[in-house]
Amino acid sequence: MSAVPNVAADVAELIRWRSVSALWWRHVLALARVWRVAVTWFVVEPVFVLVAVALGIGRMVGDVPPYGSYAVFVAPGIVVGTAMFHAIFECSWSAFQRIQQHLYETVLTAPVTVAEIVLAELAFATTRSLVSTVAVGGFAIGFGWIPLSALPGLLLVAVGVGLVFGGIGLLFAALSPTVHALSLVFTLVATPLYFFSGSFFPVDVLPDWLEPVAWAAPLTPLVHVSRGLVAGDLDWSHAAAAGYAAGLAVALFPLAVVLLRRRLLK
Amino acid sequence: MPEIEARDLVKRFGAFRAVDGVTFEVAAGETYGLLGPNGAGKTTTMRMLAGLSPITSGTLRVAGLDVTRHGRAVRACLGVVTQSDGLDEELTARQNLEMFGYLVGLSRREARRRAREVLEFFALEARGDDEVADLSGGMRRRLAIARALVVRPRVVVLDEPSTGLDPESRVRVWEELAALKRSGVTLLMSTHYMDEAETLCDRLAILHSGRILDEGTPPELVARHAGSAAAEVRADAESRERVRQALANAGQRFREVGALFRVTGRNGQAPEVPALQGAQVTWRAANLEDVFLSLAGRGLAEE
Repeated sequence: MSAVPNVAADVAELIRWRSVSALWWRHVLALARVWRVAVTWFVVEPVFVLVAVALGIGRMVGDVPPYGSYAVFVAPGIVVGTAMFHAIFECSWSAFQRIQQHLYETVLTAPVTVAEIVLAELAFATTRSLVSTVAVGGFAIGFGWIPLSALPGLLLVAVGVGLVFGGIGLLFAALSPTVHALSLVFTLVATPLYFFSGSFFPVDVLPDWLEPVAWAAPLTPLVHVSRGLVAGDLDWSHAAAAGYAAGLAVALFPLAVVLLRRRLLK
Repeated sequence: MPEIEARDLVKRFGAFRAVDGVTFEVAAGETYGLLGPNGAGKTTTMRMLAGLSPITSGTLRVAGLDVTRHGRAVRACLGVVTQSDGLDEELTARQNLEMFGYLVGLSRREARRRAREVLEFFALEARGDDEVADLSGGMRRRLAIARALVVRPRVVVLDEPSTGLDPESRVRVWEELAALKRSGVTLLMSTHYMDEAETLCDRLAILHSGRILDEGTPPELVARHAGSAAAEVRADAESRERVRQALANAGQRFREVGALFRVTGRNGQAPEVPALQGAQVTWRAANLEDVFLSLAGRGLAEE
Protein backbone atom coordinates (compact mmCIF):
# COMPACT_ATOMS: atom_id res chain seq x y z
CA MET A 1 0.00 0.00 0.00
CA SER A 2 1.22 3.43 -0.90
CA ALA A 3 1.72 5.80 1.99
CA VAL A 4 0.55 8.73 -0.09
CA PRO A 5 -3.01 8.18 -1.30
CA ASN A 6 -3.54 8.90 -4.96
CA VAL A 7 -5.95 11.78 -4.47
CA ALA A 8 -6.35 12.53 -8.17
CA ALA A 9 -7.35 8.94 -8.90
CA ASP A 10 -9.79 8.90 -5.96
CA VAL A 11 -11.49 12.05 -7.16
CA ALA A 12 -11.56 10.73 -10.73
CA GLU A 13 -13.25 7.59 -9.38
CA LEU A 14 -15.66 9.73 -7.37
CA ILE A 15 -16.58 12.27 -10.05
CA ARG A 16 -16.37 11.48 -13.75
CA TRP A 17 -16.12 14.89 -15.40
CA ARG A 18 -17.40 13.67 -18.75
CA SER A 19 -20.75 12.92 -17.08
CA VAL A 20 -20.98 16.50 -15.83
CA SER A 21 -19.76 18.18 -19.00
CA ALA A 22 -21.95 16.06 -21.30
CA LEU A 23 -25.10 16.79 -19.28
CA TRP A 24 -24.24 20.46 -19.03
CA TRP A 25 -23.73 20.55 -22.79
CA ARG A 26 -27.05 18.73 -23.29
CA HIS A 27 -28.79 21.49 -21.33
CA VAL A 28 -27.04 24.23 -23.31
CA LEU A 29 -28.11 22.56 -26.55
CA ALA A 30 -31.72 22.13 -25.40
CA LEU A 31 -31.87 25.81 -24.37
CA ALA A 32 -30.18 26.99 -27.56
CA ARG A 33 -32.84 25.16 -29.58
CA VAL A 34 -35.50 27.41 -28.06
CA TRP A 35 -33.37 30.57 -27.99
CA ARG A 36 -36.13 32.82 -29.36
CA VAL A 37 -38.30 32.03 -26.36
CA ALA A 38 -35.33 32.06 -24.02
CA VAL A 39 -34.60 35.68 -24.94
CA THR A 40 -37.90 36.67 -23.34
CA TRP A 41 -36.91 34.88 -20.11
CA PHE A 42 -33.44 36.35 -19.95
CA VAL A 43 -34.04 39.85 -21.31
CA VAL A 44 -37.56 40.96 -22.11
CA GLU A 45 -39.42 40.10 -18.91
CA PRO A 46 -36.74 41.17 -16.40
CA VAL A 47 -36.14 44.42 -18.27
CA PHE A 48 -39.86 45.20 -18.08
CA VAL A 49 -39.71 44.65 -14.34
CA LEU A 50 -36.52 46.67 -13.97
CA VAL A 51 -37.84 49.63 -15.94
CA ALA A 52 -41.29 49.58 -14.32
CA VAL A 53 -39.95 49.38 -10.79
CA ALA A 54 -36.87 51.59 -11.14
CA LEU A 55 -38.50 54.32 -13.20
CA GLY A 56 -42.20 53.96 -12.37
CA ILE A 57 -42.26 53.10 -8.69
CA GLY A 58 -38.92 54.87 -8.26
CA ARG A 59 -40.48 58.18 -9.21
CA MET A 60 -43.14 57.80 -6.49
CA VAL A 61 -40.64 56.67 -3.84
CA GLY A 62 -37.94 59.26 -4.24
CA ASP A 63 -34.40 58.71 -2.92
CA VAL A 64 -33.30 55.95 -0.57
CA PRO A 65 -30.45 57.20 1.58
CA PRO A 66 -27.58 56.42 1.58
CA TYR A 67 -27.86 54.74 -1.83
CA GLY A 68 -29.31 57.61 -3.82
CA SER A 69 -32.19 57.09 -6.22
CA TYR A 70 -34.61 54.17 -5.74
CA ALA A 71 -33.41 52.80 -9.10
CA VAL A 72 -29.87 52.48 -7.72
CA PHE A 73 -31.25 50.82 -4.60
CA VAL A 74 -33.52 48.36 -6.37
CA ALA A 75 -31.39 47.40 -9.43
CA PRO A 76 -29.04 44.92 -7.67
CA GLY A 77 -32.06 43.34 -5.95
CA ILE A 78 -33.80 42.76 -9.27
CA VAL A 79 -30.61 41.43 -10.86
CA VAL A 80 -30.16 38.87 -8.06
CA GLY A 81 -33.89 38.04 -7.84
CA THR A 82 -34.12 37.34 -11.57
CA ALA A 83 -31.05 35.12 -11.40
CA MET A 84 -32.71 33.25 -8.53
CA PHE A 85 -35.78 32.52 -10.65
CA HIS A 86 -33.58 31.10 -13.40
CA ALA A 87 -31.67 28.80 -11.06
CA ILE A 88 -34.73 27.63 -9.18
CA PHE A 89 -36.79 27.09 -12.33
CA GLU A 90 -34.05 25.04 -13.97
CA CYS A 91 -33.52 22.75 -11.01
CA SER A 92 -37.13 22.34 -9.94
CA TRP A 93 -39.41 22.48 -12.97
CA SER A 94 -36.95 21.31 -15.64
CA ALA A 95 -35.37 18.68 -13.40
CA PHE A 96 -38.82 17.39 -12.44
CA GLN A 97 -39.66 17.02 -16.13
CA ARG A 98 -36.48 15.01 -16.58
CA ILE A 99 -37.51 12.72 -13.74
CA GLN A 100 -41.00 12.28 -15.19
CA GLN A 101 -39.75 11.66 -18.73
CA HIS A 102 -37.27 9.05 -17.42
CA LEU A 103 -34.39 11.03 -18.84
CA TYR A 104 -32.30 10.66 -15.67
CA GLU A 105 -33.03 6.95 -15.78
CA THR A 106 -31.47 6.78 -19.24
CA VAL A 107 -28.53 8.88 -18.08
CA LEU A 108 -27.98 6.55 -15.11
CA THR A 109 -27.72 3.51 -17.39
CA ALA A 110 -24.53 5.16 -18.69
CA PRO A 111 -21.51 5.21 -16.35
CA VAL A 112 -22.96 8.22 -14.51
CA THR A 113 -23.78 8.71 -10.82
CA VAL A 114 -26.51 10.75 -9.15
CA ALA A 115 -23.85 13.05 -7.67
CA GLU A 116 -22.69 13.85 -11.22
CA ILE A 117 -26.26 14.59 -12.30
CA VAL A 118 -26.60 17.00 -9.35
CA LEU A 119 -23.28 18.68 -10.23
CA ALA A 120 -24.38 19.09 -13.85
CA GLU A 121 -27.74 20.55 -12.82
CA LEU A 122 -26.04 22.99 -10.45
CA ALA A 123 -23.52 23.93 -13.13
CA PHE A 124 -26.29 24.69 -15.57
CA ALA A 125 -28.38 26.56 -12.99
CA THR A 126 -25.26 28.65 -12.36
CA THR A 127 -24.83 29.19 -16.09
CA ARG A 128 -28.38 30.50 -16.35
CA SER A 129 -27.86 32.67 -13.29
CA LEU A 130 -24.70 34.14 -14.88
CA VAL A 131 -26.35 34.80 -18.24
CA SER A 132 -29.29 36.46 -16.51
CA THR A 133 -26.96 38.62 -14.42
CA VAL A 134 -25.08 39.79 -17.51
CA ALA A 135 -28.34 40.54 -19.36
CA VAL A 136 -30.25 42.34 -16.60
CA GLY A 137 -27.12 43.81 -15.01
CA GLY A 138 -26.05 45.03 -18.46
CA PHE A 139 -29.26 47.04 -18.79
CA ALA A 140 -28.88 48.47 -15.31
CA ILE A 141 -25.30 49.43 -16.16
CA GLY A 142 -26.58 51.06 -19.37
CA PHE A 143 -29.06 53.13 -17.37
CA GLY A 144 -26.28 54.11 -14.98
CA TRP A 145 -27.89 52.37 -11.97
CA ILE A 146 -25.02 49.93 -11.49
CA PRO A 147 -21.36 50.84 -12.03
CA LEU A 148 -19.50 48.66 -14.52
CA SER A 149 -16.87 48.01 -11.84
CA ALA A 150 -19.44 46.07 -9.81
CA LEU A 151 -20.00 43.51 -12.59
CA PRO A 152 -17.20 41.03 -11.69
CA GLY A 153 -18.44 40.94 -8.12
CA LEU A 154 -22.05 40.50 -9.28
CA LEU A 155 -20.94 37.51 -11.38
CA LEU A 156 -19.47 35.91 -8.25
CA VAL A 157 -22.79 36.51 -6.50
CA ALA A 158 -24.53 34.90 -9.50
CA VAL A 159 -22.45 31.75 -8.93
CA GLY A 160 -23.68 31.70 -5.33
CA VAL A 161 -27.28 32.22 -6.52
CA GLY A 162 -26.92 29.32 -8.97
CA LEU A 163 -25.57 26.91 -6.36
CA VAL A 164 -27.94 27.85 -3.53
CA PHE A 165 -31.15 28.06 -5.54
CA GLY A 166 -30.21 25.24 -7.87
CA GLY A 167 -29.80 23.15 -4.73
CA ILE A 168 -33.16 24.27 -3.32
CA GLY A 169 -34.83 23.58 -6.66
CA LEU A 170 -33.41 20.05 -6.73
CA LEU A 171 -34.73 19.34 -3.24
CA PHE A 172 -38.23 20.20 -4.43
CA ALA A 173 -37.83 18.21 -7.67
CA ALA A 174 -36.66 15.18 -5.69
CA LEU A 175 -39.40 15.41 -3.05
CA SER A 176 -42.46 16.48 -5.07
CA PRO A 177 -44.76 13.58 -5.88
CA THR A 178 -46.71 15.64 -8.43
CA VAL A 179 -46.31 18.77 -10.47
CA HIS A 180 -48.86 20.42 -8.17
CA ALA A 181 -46.68 19.81 -5.13
CA LEU A 182 -43.75 21.13 -7.15
CA SER A 183 -45.51 24.46 -7.73
CA LEU A 184 -45.00 25.16 -4.00
CA VAL A 185 -41.38 25.99 -4.75
CA PHE A 186 -42.65 29.08 -6.57
CA THR A 187 -45.57 30.08 -4.36
CA LEU A 188 -43.89 29.36 -1.02
CA VAL A 189 -40.21 29.90 -1.79
CA ALA A 190 -39.28 31.89 -4.88
CA THR A 191 -41.98 34.57 -4.89
CA PRO A 192 -41.86 35.39 -1.15
CA LEU A 193 -38.05 35.47 -1.29
CA TYR A 194 -38.14 37.77 -4.31
CA PHE A 195 -40.15 40.34 -2.34
CA PHE A 196 -38.92 39.89 1.25
CA SER A 197 -35.16 39.61 0.84
CA GLY A 198 -34.33 43.29 0.81
CA SER A 199 -34.62 43.63 -2.96
CA PHE A 200 -37.43 46.17 -3.06
CA PHE A 201 -37.17 47.65 0.43
CA PRO A 202 -34.52 47.39 3.17
CA VAL A 203 -35.05 44.46 5.51
CA ASP A 204 -35.02 46.82 8.52
CA VAL A 205 -38.40 48.32 7.58
CA LEU A 206 -40.00 44.93 8.37
CA PRO A 207 -41.60 44.38 11.81
CA ASP A 208 -39.01 43.46 14.44
CA TRP A 209 -40.06 39.82 14.68
CA LEU A 210 -39.84 39.33 10.88
CA GLU A 211 -36.43 40.91 10.48
CA PRO A 212 -34.32 37.93 11.65
CA VAL A 213 -36.44 35.63 9.49
CA ALA A 214 -35.74 37.80 6.46
CA TRP A 215 -32.01 37.77 7.24
CA ALA A 216 -31.98 33.99 7.52
CA ALA A 217 -33.76 33.61 4.18
CA PRO A 218 -31.29 32.39 1.54
CA LEU A 219 -31.70 35.27 -0.93
CA THR A 220 -31.11 38.09 1.59
CA PRO A 221 -27.34 37.62 2.01
CA LEU A 222 -26.88 37.54 -1.76
CA VAL A 223 -28.90 40.76 -2.23
CA HIS A 224 -26.94 42.34 0.60
CA VAL A 225 -23.57 41.52 -0.98
CA SER A 226 -24.75 42.77 -4.38
CA ARG A 227 -25.90 46.06 -2.95
CA GLY A 228 -22.59 46.43 -1.14
CA LEU A 229 -20.80 45.85 -4.44
CA VAL A 230 -22.95 48.42 -6.24
CA ALA A 231 -22.58 51.02 -3.50
CA GLY A 232 -18.88 50.24 -3.11
CA ASP A 233 -19.11 50.09 0.70
CA LEU A 234 -18.22 46.48 1.52
CA ASP A 235 -17.68 45.66 5.21
CA TRP A 236 -17.66 42.61 7.49
CA SER A 237 -21.43 42.21 7.21
CA HIS A 238 -20.95 41.45 3.53
CA ALA A 239 -18.22 38.93 4.27
CA ALA A 240 -20.53 37.26 6.79
CA ALA A 241 -23.36 37.22 4.26
CA ALA A 242 -21.11 35.68 1.60
CA GLY A 243 -19.95 33.06 4.11
CA TYR A 244 -23.56 32.24 5.00
CA ALA A 245 -24.49 31.79 1.33
CA ALA A 246 -21.41 29.63 0.72
CA GLY A 247 -22.34 27.48 3.72
CA LEU A 248 -25.85 27.01 2.35
CA ALA A 249 -24.48 25.99 -1.05
CA VAL A 250 -22.12 23.47 0.54
CA ALA A 251 -24.85 22.02 2.76
CA LEU A 252 -27.44 21.75 -0.02
CA PHE A 253 -25.26 19.69 -2.36
CA PRO A 254 -25.09 16.42 -0.37
CA LEU A 255 -28.74 16.81 0.63
CA ALA A 256 -29.78 17.10 -3.02
CA VAL A 257 -27.67 14.04 -3.90
CA VAL A 258 -29.22 11.92 -1.16
CA LEU A 259 -32.81 12.93 -1.96
CA LEU A 260 -32.44 12.59 -5.72
CA ARG A 261 -30.76 9.20 -5.31
CA ARG A 262 -33.69 8.07 -3.19
CA ARG A 263 -36.07 9.28 -5.88
CA LEU A 264 -34.25 7.73 -8.83
CA LEU A 265 -32.72 4.50 -7.55
CA LYS A 266 -35.37 2.28 -6.01
CA MET B 1 -16.80 -17.21 -17.51
CA PRO B 2 -20.46 -16.34 -18.02
CA GLU B 3 -21.15 -12.88 -19.39
CA ILE B 4 -24.00 -12.37 -16.89
CA GLU B 5 -24.21 -14.23 -13.61
CA ALA B 6 -26.99 -13.85 -11.03
CA ARG B 7 -26.74 -15.82 -7.79
CA ASP B 8 -29.48 -15.91 -5.13
CA LEU B 9 -30.53 -12.46 -6.21
CA VAL B 10 -33.09 -10.83 -3.93
CA LYS B 11 -34.85 -7.46 -4.11
CA ARG B 12 -37.15 -6.46 -1.30
CA PHE B 13 -39.45 -3.43 -1.22
CA GLY B 14 -40.43 -3.31 2.45
CA ALA B 15 -41.92 -6.71 3.17
CA PHE B 16 -42.55 -7.46 -0.52
CA ARG B 17 -39.98 -9.63 -2.27
CA ALA B 18 -40.07 -8.52 -5.92
CA VAL B 19 -37.16 -10.83 -6.75
CA ASP B 20 -36.87 -13.79 -4.42
CA GLY B 21 -33.67 -15.77 -4.90
CA VAL B 22 -33.02 -15.80 -8.62
CA THR B 23 -29.98 -17.66 -10.04
CA PHE B 24 -29.06 -17.81 -13.71
CA GLU B 25 -26.12 -17.50 -16.09
CA VAL B 26 -25.92 -16.10 -19.60
CA ALA B 27 -23.02 -17.10 -21.84
CA ALA B 28 -21.28 -14.62 -24.14
CA GLY B 29 -23.20 -14.25 -27.39
CA GLU B 30 -26.30 -15.88 -25.99
CA THR B 31 -29.79 -14.40 -26.00
CA TYR B 32 -31.47 -15.09 -22.70
CA GLY B 33 -35.10 -14.34 -22.00
CA LEU B 34 -36.93 -13.65 -18.78
CA LEU B 35 -40.48 -14.71 -19.43
CA GLY B 36 -43.30 -14.04 -17.05
CA PRO B 37 -46.44 -12.09 -16.32
CA ASN B 38 -46.46 -8.54 -14.95
CA GLY B 39 -45.08 -8.50 -11.42
CA ALA B 40 -42.96 -11.62 -11.91
CA GLY B 41 -39.75 -9.70 -11.19
CA LYS B 42 -38.41 -9.32 -14.74
CA THR B 43 -38.10 -5.55 -14.74
CA THR B 44 -36.68 -5.45 -11.21
CA THR B 45 -33.99 -7.99 -12.18
CA MET B 46 -33.03 -5.88 -15.19
CA ARG B 47 -33.06 -2.66 -13.20
CA MET B 48 -30.64 -4.20 -10.71
CA LEU B 49 -28.38 -5.16 -13.59
CA ALA B 50 -28.50 -1.63 -15.00
CA GLY B 51 -27.66 -0.10 -11.62
CA LEU B 52 -31.10 1.53 -11.33
CA SER B 53 -32.10 -0.53 -8.32
CA PRO B 54 -29.80 -1.41 -5.39
CA ILE B 55 -29.56 -5.16 -4.72
CA THR B 56 -30.98 -6.38 -1.40
CA SER B 57 -28.88 -9.58 -1.30
CA GLY B 58 -27.18 -12.06 -3.57
CA THR B 59 -24.68 -11.28 -6.31
CA LEU B 60 -24.95 -10.03 -9.83
CA ARG B 61 -21.97 -9.91 -12.18
CA VAL B 62 -21.50 -8.68 -15.71
CA ALA B 63 -18.30 -9.65 -17.54
CA GLY B 64 -16.96 -10.82 -14.18
CA LEU B 65 -17.56 -7.45 -12.51
CA ASP B 66 -19.79 -7.09 -9.48
CA VAL B 67 -22.70 -4.75 -10.26
CA THR B 68 -22.75 -3.21 -6.77
CA ARG B 69 -19.01 -2.70 -6.35
CA HIS B 70 -18.09 -1.87 -9.94
CA GLY B 71 -21.33 -0.29 -11.12
CA ARG B 72 -19.64 2.29 -13.28
CA ALA B 73 -17.46 -0.24 -15.08
CA VAL B 74 -20.44 -2.55 -15.58
CA ARG B 75 -22.57 0.23 -17.04
CA ALA B 76 -19.74 1.15 -19.40
CA CYS B 77 -20.19 -2.20 -21.17
CA LEU B 78 -24.00 -2.32 -21.02
CA GLY B 79 -26.61 -1.02 -23.42
CA VAL B 80 -29.93 -0.66 -21.65
CA VAL B 81 -33.39 -0.14 -23.12
CA THR B 82 -35.90 0.53 -20.38
CA GLN B 83 -39.64 0.08 -20.82
CA SER B 84 -40.22 3.82 -20.92
CA ASP B 85 -37.70 4.42 -23.78
CA GLY B 86 -36.40 7.39 -21.77
CA LEU B 87 -35.84 9.52 -24.86
CA ASP B 88 -34.85 13.16 -24.58
CA GLU B 89 -37.90 15.07 -25.81
CA GLU B 90 -35.99 18.35 -26.06
CA LEU B 91 -33.52 17.06 -28.65
CA THR B 92 -33.81 15.60 -32.14
CA ALA B 93 -33.48 11.87 -32.77
CA ARG B 94 -29.90 12.30 -33.94
CA GLN B 95 -28.97 14.52 -31.00
CA ASN B 96 -30.34 11.86 -28.64
CA LEU B 97 -27.85 9.38 -30.06
CA GLU B 98 -24.89 11.77 -30.24
CA MET B 99 -25.47 13.05 -26.72
CA PHE B 100 -25.66 9.55 -25.26
CA GLY B 101 -22.48 8.50 -27.05
CA TYR B 102 -20.68 11.56 -25.70
CA LEU B 103 -22.07 10.96 -22.21
CA VAL B 104 -20.67 7.42 -22.16
CA GLY B 105 -17.27 8.62 -23.31
CA LEU B 106 -17.00 8.73 -27.10
CA SER B 107 -15.31 11.76 -28.63
CA ARG B 108 -17.70 14.20 -30.31
CA ARG B 109 -16.55 13.09 -33.74
CA GLU B 110 -16.92 9.40 -32.90
CA ALA B 111 -20.36 10.03 -31.36
CA ARG B 112 -21.49 11.75 -34.57
CA ARG B 113 -20.16 8.90 -36.69
CA ARG B 114 -21.79 6.19 -34.55
CA ALA B 115 -25.09 8.09 -34.48
CA ARG B 116 -25.06 8.11 -38.28
CA GLU B 117 -24.27 4.39 -38.39
CA VAL B 118 -27.01 3.28 -36.03
CA LEU B 119 -29.58 5.57 -37.67
CA GLU B 120 -28.74 3.79 -40.90
CA PHE B 121 -28.91 0.34 -39.31
CA PHE B 122 -32.36 1.13 -37.94
CA ALA B 123 -33.46 2.78 -41.21
CA LEU B 124 -34.13 6.03 -39.36
CA GLU B 125 -31.80 8.35 -41.34
CA ALA B 126 -34.72 10.16 -42.92
CA ARG B 127 -36.14 10.97 -39.46
CA GLY B 128 -32.81 11.78 -37.84
CA ASP B 129 -33.42 15.49 -37.54
CA ASP B 130 -37.05 15.19 -36.44
CA GLU B 131 -38.27 15.98 -32.98
CA VAL B 132 -38.63 12.86 -30.86
CA ALA B 133 -42.26 13.80 -30.18
CA ASP B 134 -43.03 13.46 -33.91
CA LEU B 135 -41.91 9.82 -34.09
CA SER B 136 -44.35 6.89 -33.94
CA GLY B 137 -44.29 4.43 -31.04
CA GLY B 138 -42.36 1.89 -33.09
CA MET B 139 -39.79 4.45 -34.17
CA ARG B 140 -39.35 5.67 -30.61
CA ARG B 141 -38.66 2.14 -29.41
CA ARG B 142 -36.20 1.57 -32.23
CA LEU B 143 -34.51 4.88 -31.46
CA ALA B 144 -34.20 3.80 -27.82
CA ILE B 145 -32.58 0.53 -28.94
CA ALA B 146 -30.36 2.49 -31.33
CA ARG B 147 -29.27 4.71 -28.45
CA ALA B 148 -28.20 1.67 -26.43
CA LEU B 149 -26.09 0.50 -29.39
CA VAL B 150 -24.27 3.78 -30.07
CA VAL B 151 -21.47 2.80 -27.71
CA ARG B 152 -21.09 -0.79 -29.02
CA PRO B 153 -22.05 -2.50 -25.76
CA ARG B 154 -20.95 -6.06 -24.94
CA VAL B 155 -24.24 -6.79 -23.26
CA VAL B 156 -27.62 -5.39 -24.26
CA VAL B 157 -30.48 -5.38 -21.77
CA LEU B 158 -33.97 -4.97 -23.23
CA ASP B 159 -37.05 -4.65 -21.07
CA GLU B 160 -40.04 -5.80 -23.12
CA PRO B 161 -38.67 -4.64 -26.48
CA SER B 162 -41.92 -5.00 -28.42
CA THR B 163 -44.63 -4.27 -25.85
CA GLY B 164 -47.19 -1.83 -27.19
CA LEU B 165 -46.00 -1.97 -30.80
CA ASP B 166 -48.14 -2.77 -33.82
CA PRO B 167 -47.43 -6.10 -35.61
CA GLU B 168 -45.37 -4.47 -38.36
CA SER B 169 -43.15 -2.61 -35.90
CA ARG B 170 -42.78 -5.73 -33.74
CA VAL B 171 -41.44 -7.79 -36.61
CA ARG B 172 -39.15 -4.94 -37.51
CA VAL B 173 -37.74 -4.83 -33.98
CA TRP B 174 -37.30 -8.61 -34.04
CA GLU B 175 -35.38 -8.47 -37.31
CA GLU B 176 -33.11 -5.81 -35.92
CA LEU B 177 -32.53 -7.73 -32.70
CA ALA B 178 -31.79 -10.87 -34.71
CA ALA B 179 -29.18 -8.93 -36.69
CA LEU B 180 -27.73 -7.66 -33.44
CA LYS B 181 -27.58 -11.20 -32.12
CA ARG B 182 -25.66 -12.35 -35.19
CA SER B 183 -23.07 -9.68 -34.45
CA GLY B 184 -22.16 -11.58 -31.28
CA VAL B 185 -23.67 -9.31 -28.63
CA THR B 186 -25.04 -10.91 -25.47
CA LEU B 187 -28.71 -10.11 -25.03
CA LEU B 188 -30.82 -10.24 -21.90
CA MET B 189 -34.45 -9.49 -22.59
CA SER B 190 -37.74 -9.70 -20.79
CA THR B 191 -41.04 -10.36 -22.43
CA HIS B 192 -44.50 -11.63 -21.75
CA TYR B 193 -45.00 -12.63 -25.38
CA MET B 194 -44.42 -16.32 -26.01
CA ASP B 195 -43.87 -15.84 -29.73
CA GLU B 196 -41.22 -13.23 -29.06
CA ALA B 197 -39.40 -15.52 -26.63
CA GLU B 198 -39.62 -18.44 -29.06
CA THR B 199 -38.36 -16.34 -31.97
CA LEU B 200 -35.43 -14.59 -30.29
CA CYS B 201 -34.23 -16.44 -27.20
CA ASP B 202 -31.64 -19.22 -27.06
CA ARG B 203 -32.58 -19.97 -23.47
CA LEU B 204 -35.35 -18.82 -21.17
CA ALA B 205 -36.15 -18.53 -17.52
CA ILE B 206 -39.80 -18.62 -16.62
CA LEU B 207 -40.41 -16.24 -13.73
CA HIS B 208 -43.32 -16.12 -11.40
CA SER B 209 -43.65 -14.11 -8.18
CA GLY B 210 -39.95 -13.31 -8.14
CA ARG B 211 -38.79 -16.93 -8.61
CA ILE B 212 -37.54 -18.94 -11.56
CA LEU B 213 -39.95 -21.83 -12.11
CA ASP B 214 -37.81 -23.48 -14.77
CA GLU B 215 -35.07 -22.71 -17.26
CA GLY B 216 -34.02 -24.14 -20.61
CA THR B 217 -34.19 -23.77 -24.39
CA PRO B 218 -37.69 -23.20 -25.75
CA PRO B 219 -37.97 -26.80 -27.16
CA GLU B 220 -36.69 -28.26 -23.86
CA LEU B 221 -39.23 -26.32 -21.87
CA VAL B 222 -42.03 -27.26 -24.23
CA ALA B 223 -41.10 -30.97 -24.13
CA ARG B 224 -40.72 -30.99 -20.34
CA HIS B 225 -43.86 -29.11 -19.41
CA ALA B 226 -46.22 -29.34 -22.35
CA GLY B 227 -45.20 -32.58 -24.03
CA SER B 228 -44.94 -33.22 -27.74
CA ALA B 229 -48.44 -32.09 -28.64
CA ALA B 230 -51.37 -30.29 -27.13
CA ALA B 231 -55.05 -31.02 -27.53
CA GLU B 232 -57.65 -28.32 -27.66
CA VAL B 233 -61.00 -29.63 -26.60
CA ARG B 234 -63.97 -27.48 -27.47
CA ALA B 235 -67.11 -28.31 -25.54
CA ASP B 236 -70.53 -26.72 -25.47
CA ALA B 237 -72.01 -25.48 -22.22
CA GLU B 238 -73.94 -28.70 -21.35
CA SER B 239 -70.97 -31.03 -21.94
CA ARG B 240 -68.45 -28.89 -20.14
CA GLU B 241 -68.91 -30.38 -16.67
CA ARG B 242 -68.71 -33.91 -18.12
CA VAL B 243 -65.53 -33.12 -20.07
CA ARG B 244 -64.00 -31.57 -16.99
CA GLN B 245 -64.72 -34.74 -14.99
CA ALA B 246 -63.46 -37.06 -17.73
CA LEU B 247 -60.16 -35.19 -18.11
CA ALA B 248 -59.65 -35.06 -14.35
CA ASN B 249 -60.45 -38.80 -14.00
CA ALA B 250 -57.95 -39.59 -16.78
CA GLY B 251 -55.30 -37.69 -14.79
CA GLN B 252 -54.71 -35.20 -17.57
CA ARG B 253 -53.28 -31.72 -17.07
CA PHE B 254 -55.54 -29.12 -18.56
CA ARG B 255 -56.48 -25.51 -18.34
CA GLU B 256 -59.98 -24.31 -19.05
CA VAL B 257 -60.24 -21.11 -21.04
CA GLY B 258 -63.84 -20.22 -21.92
CA ALA B 259 -65.27 -22.98 -24.11
CA LEU B 260 -61.80 -24.44 -24.64
CA PHE B 261 -59.85 -27.01 -22.61
CA ARG B 262 -56.13 -26.92 -23.36
CA VAL B 263 -54.76 -30.32 -22.54
CA THR B 264 -50.98 -30.61 -22.32
CA GLY B 265 -48.64 -33.56 -21.89
CA ARG B 266 -45.24 -33.57 -20.18
CA ASN B 267 -41.80 -35.20 -20.37
CA GLY B 268 -41.96 -35.30 -24.15
CA GLN B 269 -45.25 -37.19 -24.21
CA ALA B 270 -48.51 -36.10 -25.77
CA PRO B 271 -51.53 -36.05 -23.47
CA GLU B 272 -53.97 -38.93 -23.56
CA VAL B 273 -57.37 -37.55 -24.27
CA PRO B 274 -60.18 -39.98 -23.44
CA ALA B 275 -63.17 -40.36 -25.76
CA LEU B 276 -65.38 -37.39 -25.07
CA GLN B 277 -69.02 -37.21 -26.08
CA GLY B 278 -70.17 -33.80 -27.33
CA ALA B 279 -66.65 -32.38 -27.62
CA GLN B 280 -64.44 -31.55 -30.56
CA VAL B 281 -60.74 -32.37 -30.20
CA THR B 282 -58.06 -30.55 -32.23
CA TRP B 283 -54.39 -31.50 -32.02
CA ARG B 284 -51.58 -29.03 -32.49
CA ALA B 285 -47.88 -28.71 -31.65
CA ALA B 286 -47.27 -27.73 -28.03
CA ASN B 287 -45.78 -24.27 -27.56
CA LEU B 288 -44.35 -22.01 -24.89
CA GLU B 289 -47.73 -20.64 -24.03
CA ASP B 290 -48.77 -24.12 -22.90
CA VAL B 291 -45.60 -24.30 -20.80
CA PHE B 292 -46.30 -20.98 -19.29
CA LEU B 293 -49.90 -21.72 -18.45
CA SER B 294 -49.03 -25.09 -16.99
CA LEU B 295 -46.11 -23.75 -14.91
CA ALA B 296 -47.70 -20.52 -13.83
CA GLY B 297 -50.87 -22.41 -12.89
CA ARG B 298 -48.80 -24.66 -10.69
CA GLY B 299 -46.82 -21.75 -9.28
CA LEU B 300 -50.03 -20.03 -8.26
CA ALA B 301 -51.46 -23.22 -6.76
CA GLU B 302 -48.41 -23.61 -4.52
CA GLU B 303 -48.79 -20.18 -2.95
